[in-house]
Amino acid sequence: MINKEQFTFVYKTNIQNENDHFKIKNILGAHQLVEEWSVDTEDKDCVLRVVSDKISEQEIKETIHRIGFQCTELI
Amino acid sequence: MRVRDENKEITIREKAIELIVKEGFNGFSMQKLAKGAHVSPATIYIYYKNKEEMLNKLFMHVRIVFWETAMVDFHPEMQLEEGLLQQWKNRFHFILAYPMHFQFMEQFRNSPLIKHKDVDISQFKVSMKAFIKNAISRNEMKKMEPEIFWAIAYGSFYSLVKFHLDDKSMMGRPFEFTETKIKQAVKLVTKALNP
Repeated sequence: MINKEQFTFVYKTNIQNENDHFKIKNILGAHQLVEEWSVDTEDKDCVLRVVSDKISEQEIKETIHRIGFQCTELI
Repeated sequence: MRVRDENKEITIREKAIELIVKEGFNGFSMQKLAKGAHVSPATIYIYYKNKEEMLNKLFMHVRIVFWETAMVDFHPEMQLEEGLLQQWKNRFHFILAYPMHFQFMEQFRNSPLIKHKDVDISQFKVSMKAFIKNAISRNEMKKMEPEIFWAIAYGSFYSLVKFHLDDKSMMGRPFEFTETKIKQAVKLVTKALNP
């Protein structure tokens, strides 16, 4: 078990609807280095939350950018 | 690397319980919580995925606090009256010490938003069942439907607590639920349960 808090990354995105969610699922759901992920589509910042101790905050961001979504660190 | 900050975690949790009790779950948002707890939304999302998950985790936490408080100085082998008295005292202490937790628990006890499966097994429930079983085997009470037992043993308690918490009781004056009154009521409840 990894210390989850240390490896939890949260981003502000534009992943808004089911269709968007599906696209993310295809990428993150199949990603072997991602332990856990979720999107809070109810929140105005559509917060993406990823838990992984094997992939960096920056790499996750780039992965999301590559499939055409906005993704910036949530402050 | 991020360092776990337990104080922050507690602040977020307590503020969330307070906001949900005061404004309801529909009016509650992670953004409001961030403002109220003086933390960034990012900090909240470290601990919780979304508000539904948060609600379930809060509910579980509140129940654990309740269970722990209810088990203080209580043993399933206690005589019926003695055990009930300890339960009433412990539960009253919980309500006075954690008024927000109590309201939160009442509010979501039967909510479909709570996934009860996660929280159903506990030492508390095991002990409460054993306590009743022991009382029956000592012939201090008869076997009965759990709902009937609860209504008599604890329903009366929660009615009296409500009188205590309200500014005015049914008699139009304040009612103070003192230790003497607790003892008096438990005696009556025990009598009602006796075979």
